Amino acid sequence: MRIKTVDLTKIFHVGSSEITAVNKVNFEVNEAKFIAIVGPSGSGKSTLLSLIGLNDYPNYGKIFIDDIDTVLLSGSQRRKIRLSRMGFVFQTFNLFPTLNALENVELPMALANKSKGEQREKAVRLLEAMGLSNRLFHRPKELSMGEMQRVAIARALVNNPELIIADEPTGELDSKTAKEIIRLLFDINRKEKTTVIVATHDEKIVDVADAIYSMYDGKLKLEG
Amino acid sequence: MCLRNLFRRRVRTFLCVLGIALATTLIVAIGATTSRYIYVIKEMHTYFSGKIVVVSKGAIVIEAFPIATGNLPQTMVEKLKQVNGTKDAVPMLFIYNFEGALEALPRNFTIGIPQGNWSALVGFTPLKSGGRWPSANESEAVIGSSLSDQFNLTVGDAIKLKDYDLKVTGVLNTSSALLSRSIIMPLDLVQEIYGYNKLVNLIVVEPRGEVNTAKLAERIETEIANVNALTEDERTDLARPLISNLETWALGIRTVLFILSMIFVTTVAMMNISERRRDFATLDAIGAPKSFIFKVVTIETGLMGFFGGLSGILLGSFVAIAVASVYTGIPISLFFPGIFDITPPILMLEILASTVAVSCIAGIIPSIAAARMKITEVLRAEY
Repeated sequence: MRIKTVDLTKIFHVGSSEITAVNKVNFEVNEAKFIAIVGPSGSGKSTLLSLIGLNDYPNYGKIFIDDIDTVLLSGSQRRKIRLSRMGFVFQTFNLFPTLNALENVELPMALANKSKGEQREKAVRLLEAMGLSNRLFHRPKELSMGEMQRVAIARALVNNPELIIADEPTGELDSKTAKEIIRLLFDINRKEKTTVIVATHDEKIVDVADAIYSMYDGKLKLEG
Repeated sequence: MCLRNLFRRRVRTFLCVLGIALATTLIVAIGATTSRYIYVIKEMHTYFSGKIVVVSKGAIVIEAFPIATGNLPQTMVEKLKQVNGTKDAVPMLFIYNFEGALEALPRNFTIGIPQGNWSALVGFTPLKSGGRWPSANESEAVIGSSLSDQFNLTVGDAIKLKDYDLKVTGVLNTSSALLSRSIIMPLDLVQEIYGYNKLVNLIVVEPRGEVNTAKLAERIETEIANVNALTEDERTDLARPLISNLETWALGIRTVLFILSMIFVTTVAMMNISERRRDFATLDAIGAPKSFIFKVVTIETGLMGFFGGLSGILLGSFVAIAVASVYTGIPISLFFPGIFDITPPILMLEILASTVAVSCIAGIIPSIAAARMKITEVLRAEY
């Protein structure tokens, strides 16, 4: 998946004041790259990822995915892209508390109308690959932070996405677990040729990224 | 998933289901009680078909039966037989036996009919095996099947009415609300027991075949002072406002309770979705269609309605029986075999379907709110 943004701008209105969270960002990512976006809290990283992940509309500017102007797409077309071509990993994992690990991973496949058998087979395989074969039927509250994030990554991968968007995926984890999660994302990027965009404070991620961008006051800058 | 989401907030879900259950209980109890009344009134309509019922002017009548004020001298029977177009006239005396202030229906009816004219009231209703109709000049009575079951009475047993000892000579084999609770005996015996000296409260006039009943009724009212001669249509017209009032009240109460249930379900569902904002935002973020989110919330509210409705129907059927028992003085145990007569299955299904439908409708606003949630705002607020 190739992603390109042109003068991407997002403004929030808080009371009578305006906050420009993303300010004329021009950004391009080619297939199978591992991109890290660093910057302090409130710099606009999460907003930029929301825009790239088609979870929000910009006020100005364009987002092209494989040369398609996504701003012109309908809500349902954007939803289809999110479901079938993207995977999301959140800082707080965002697993569904009433579903067990297996069901959490199966859910995006169910939404994509995959057969029950296919859902089960793929979810089990992914969770086993994440080292969670003995946690399939555990609910999120019965899992450790690291295990929860691995379930979340398995959920993000289950529909074979071309892009994984991870917003502070190691923010809630201890350094050892964070390292494992980074390794996992890196392996996915390299083996599956999946583009990975990570917003992070974590320097360990920065170490493995193909490109590092910094964000400050809504402005994006290539660091290396 | 929906069921587990409901179990996630057990106390809240339980209270919501309980609220729906209580509302449904009232709906079932009121519905069943009014249906029972309407059934009894409509059943009364089946008596004296094609005949004219003559009652005292001012008597309060439900269908064919005078329920208050006004007696007629028995000698009026002869006058009625003289009216041109009358084939026969049969006097009857209905005594309604109430016990206790709470009773809205009589516990039983004592009915006096001249010897040999039993079919004027009971038609072709047979007696249970071994029974016979009372003989003349004997203290004998035929009783209804419900009384026989309640007091374990059979042919040959003795019953006491006021200070009179009577012998049961037969048991009517019927499920009729009126006849099954009746004690039928010769007219002169009822007059003696209850002190109605040569008085009756109803005379059934059978017109000759070729005579127009409406015209005969008019003639009777013209020729005999202080009587009302009611044709079948007039009797129906008299009962119609009562049935209509009962149905309107039942519908009104049902509507109010359904609205209250709806508000209740909507409130609980709104609380649920506001607590699960992150779940809905995550579903949206991973690409779940809005229809899926809409479906999840609606199914959850529908399930609450289903469980509340089901519990309410079970509880309501019991309450309806208890109410019928209190009103009629018939022990609850006698109602259980006929529970589906009190709360017909069609009424149960109708109420269950209505409760689920109302709960699903109550879920519309919360499901729209859940589906319209702005993903970025919700997810940002969580950090």
